[in-house]
Amino acid sequence: MATTAANKVRRRTTLTQRQGDTIFSLLLILPTILVTTIFILVPVVDSVIQSFLDYKMKNIISGNPGTWNNFENYIKLFTNSKLGPAILQTFIFCVIVVVAQFILGMALALVLNSNIKCARFFRSIMMTPWCVPTVISALIWMWIFQPQYGLMRYIVSVLTFGQVTDLAMLNSPSTALLGIAIAALWKQVPLSTLLLLAGLQNVPGEIQEAATMDGANARVCFFRITLPYMKSVIKVVLSMAIIENFKQFPLIWTMTGGGPNNSTTTLAVLSYREAFVSNNLGSGAAVTTVWMLLMIVVVVVYNKLMGDNETS
Amino acid sequence: MKKQLKLTAAAVAAVMAFSLTACGGGTGSSGSSSQAAGTGTGETGTGEKVTIKFANYALLEDAYTEFWEGVKSGFEAENPDITIEWVTAPYADIVSTVTTMAGGGDKVDMIFGEGTWTSSLVDSGLVIPVTDVLSQDYLDQFYENSLEASTVDGEIYTLPMYMSPFILYYNTDILEKAGVESVPTTYDELLAACEKISGMTTEDGNTIYPFGQTTASVAISGSAINSMVYNFGGEVLTADGQLSIDNDGFKQTFEMLKLLDEKGYSPENCKLKDLRNLFALGQLAMYYDQSWGISGVENINPDIISVTASANPLAGGSGDGASLLSTQTLFYCDNGDANRAACAKLTEYLMSDEVLGDYLNNIVPAYPTLKTMSMPDNPALQGSTSSIDKAVAAPSVPAMNDLNLELCTLAQAVTVTGTDVDTAIEEFRTAANNIIG
Amino acid sequence: MKSVKAAKRLSAFVRYFVLVVILLMLLFPLYWVVLTSFKTNMEAYAYPPTFIAENPTVQAYISLFTENAEFFVYYKNNLIVSGATAILTTLLAVLGGYVLSRFHYKWNSLVAAILYASQMFPVVSRMISLYGLMGKVHLLNTRTGLTLALLGAMVPFTTMLMSSFFDSIPRDIEEAAIIDGCTRPQVLSRVVLPLVKPGLLSVGIYSFLMTWDDYLHCATLIQSDELRTLSTGIALRYLGELSYDWSLVNTISVVAMLPMILLFFFFQKYMVKGLVAGAVKG
Repeated sequence: MATTAANKVRRRTTLTQRQGDTIFSLLLILPTILVTTIFILVPVVDSVIQSFLDYKMKNIISGNPGTWNNFENYIKLFTNSKLGPAILQTFIFCVIVVVAQFILGMALALVLNSNIKCARFFRSIMMTPWCVPTVISALIWMWIFQPQYGLMRYIVSVLTFGQVTDLAMLNSPSTALLGIAIAALWKQVPLSTLLLLAGLQNVPGEIQEAATMDGANARVCFFRITLPYMKSVIKVVLSMAIIENFKQFPLIWTMTGGGPNNSTTTLAVLSYREAFVSNNLGSGAAVTTVWMLLMIVVVVVYNKLMGDNETS
Repeated sequence: MKKQLKLTAAAVAAVMAFSLTACGGGTGSSGSSSQAAGTGTGETGTGEKVTIKFANYALLEDAYTEFWEGVKSGFEAENPDITIEWVTAPYADIVSTVTTMAGGGDKVDMIFGEGTWTSSLVDSGLVIPVTDVLSQDYLDQFYENSLEASTVDGEIYTLPMYMSPFILYYNTDILEKAGVESVPTTYDELLAACEKISGMTTEDGNTIYPFGQTTASVAISGSAINSMVYNFGGEVLTADGQLSIDNDGFKQTFEMLKLLDEKGYSPENCKLKDLRNLFALGQLAMYYDQSWGISGVENINPDIISVTASANPLAGGSGDGASLLSTQTLFYCDNGDANRAACAKLTEYLMSDEVLGDYLNNIVPAYPTLKTMSMPDNPALQGSTSSIDKAVAAPSVPAMNDLNLELCTLAQAVTVTGTDVDTAIEEFRTAANNIIG
Repeated sequence: MKSVKAAKRLSAFVRYFVLVVILLMLLFPLYWVVLTSFKTNMEAYAYPPTFIAENPTVQAYISLFTENAEFFVYYKNNLIVSGATAILTTLLAVLGGYVLSRFHYKWNSLVAAILYASQMFPVVSRMISLYGLMGKVHLLNTRTGLTLALLGAMVPFTTMLMSSFFDSIPRDIEEAAIIDGCTRPQVLSRVVLPLVKPGLLSVGIYSFLMTWDDYLHCATLIQSDELRTLSTGIALRYLGELSYDWSLVNTISVVAMLPMILLFFFFQKYMVKGLVAGAVKG
């Protein structure tokens, strides 16, 4: 505002230019706003509305609008035993992948940032899995986990000296989620490594050197200097990972379809199943609404946590 | 500047409101627009030309593609004014594809599907009674029990093309090597045979599983399990579609599945295609499948057919060898008279001896539903011909698909999770009541 | 002194060990897929598996090229859809990103917040309404409709990304151009755009890669096989219920991922720059 006032005093033409700028910028951003509104905001609002309606496939076909059903979708959702496990499944999956991704990515980034030979070459080839389409990566890992002739069965039986010979990763409720997490990690670790590496390279060398001179050992140096310096990158890497894995769908749907015994039914799978397999759109919308609320909570809590760190 | 802000906010709000009503309008008026779409595809402007939109998952299955492409070209050659346009999606997604299409105002004309889909398609209001398309005289040529599986509230909603119970396929070679002299007819004999086969390996050292039953989460696995409940003389639903699981047969089925799993006789959490794969590689001695499943086996390893035979479904508990009758069927939707007439023509072409007869003999071994058609002369089916007489058409409820998936979950609970049968059944009851109630 | 040397050697060993282990994890599956694609189906089903193809065969490739022509239709569709989406996305991202970076009106932060939030909504929740919407404007089962839907999905992130590129261009240049008598549009097209060329490229390639990965949009909005894109086409066609053909599936995987990998390596410089710029500043 102050600058506007100053401009006003300075020259009249600036004012018209300012108005021109406003119109110009509005014009420029209008397509973005339109596209985002039409293809994202409206459908999302629409889906929240549907979650309060008795709205099934037959409504779509017959053209009858859904009818208000006194929160029945939600009541049903909270009374049957599916929502709780699905939320738990989603969080477990998300936590496993995000934590493991960060550790592996950080480890690889640190190695690549140290004066290692051919670091650039390694950085390039390590990115390959990231370019592989999700569905293809699901296929690759389904093949590796294949219970009768899969590679993983063989590797595990060799590593355990023949103790475990019948590992069927995706067929057992206790390991299926882990199997999907491995596939997710495989595709996602490269990108976080790349970003963390960029963050590491931004840490001024002098500071680290100074710290080492002062006698700080490598570990202290890493936790006290490097990590805080990389805070903004870490924040982005983690939030990207959280968002991506919280809404992961094609990977799970292709690899297990939510089974066995619902052990990989995350909120994404549950909502898709309710809406498109059971043809109950209202109920599916209720799941996505709960899911979106949880997502917002997670993001807010996450931002709080990261923000608090900054002040301390 | 404040004004600007308000203006933009208003503009955004207006856009959103507009789009919202547009959405509402979309669902509100799709009834009429689908009519428009129907006549649109009829291309009334160019005269008599009609396009039939035919939703068909089988087109995506390698073993069937050629047949259906042949149907298209053969039929279009005979009827130059009718064009077939395929709508494809995989087996598990075809129903949601056609329903979402209809939601967008675009109805297909015909769907190639299964008898178990009838209730949910009728409930969604998408399909019309078969009598709206075909004459009663024509329908009289079909076997009674095949039509029974297609009936909802006294109306026939789908035309059965051919049918099959779940029959027992077995590898004669493995059974012989294991010293199993006669093919099991009861579950007790099955266990005895499994005992003998257990521990055998193929020439390259791979385990041979004695028996396979599909339990992975796809609707068809639910049907297979349902069939097994009939084997034990039990039921899942009463004739009028009420949940009925407090019978011995139901419980015995899952006790058997648990036992087979604990003894390591069955590969765990398999889809039918997994079983077909193992069977094709000689790593599975016996398994339940619909008669047409064998074409999937043949697709992987044609050599295996020479050692493949079939037997009637096993009897267990108080059961007398009943099983579930599956039908592969045609559904019809209403897109106006011209399209319905074209569908009738296509149906009669499809069901003719030259087309379907050839299909059943050479591609998909199955039992004809037309009385006039002779039993296909397929060696793989010889051992199980009488099973069709005892096959039962399952009562169907709109949520059949869901219920079948819950049956899979129940089977997985007692096998891979290791829950005890009673607890698992109670969990199933809660879930099933939620679906049906 | 000796212990320092030993420690150094140890740390080098640890570093190379970590490098090798993680790289093996990342790259071996790819080798495995390529290897399987050259095996016969029967060898692929052998256990224990072979680590070098005993009877290498290109049969799966031949049958892919001769019998499975529809695969290349998916390919073509995907190129068209992803290409169009990438171009449109870049255009919108440039316009929007420029505004977000240069003009600090109050509503700009609202727009930024909306764009940020838009990235979080699960795709499944939008599909039903999107379907209705597309039906209304007769864009269902068309490449145009799919492109528009994907555009909607891509724009929020890429706009933010683009604005971080504009942030790195000093404002003085523009001020100078305006004083020289350039209008705003001229400033953008003649002065600023050439400076963010790397940004354009990385946004374009990023959205190309991301839309190449799409599954749900295509699965919901497209019904005819001849209009499907790669991921959906593969999942729907080659993972049939009847049987598996792992050899073919692996071959398809190889052919489907190869162009993306090449594209990435070719434009690596821009991709890395773009992704890093987005992360470090965004």
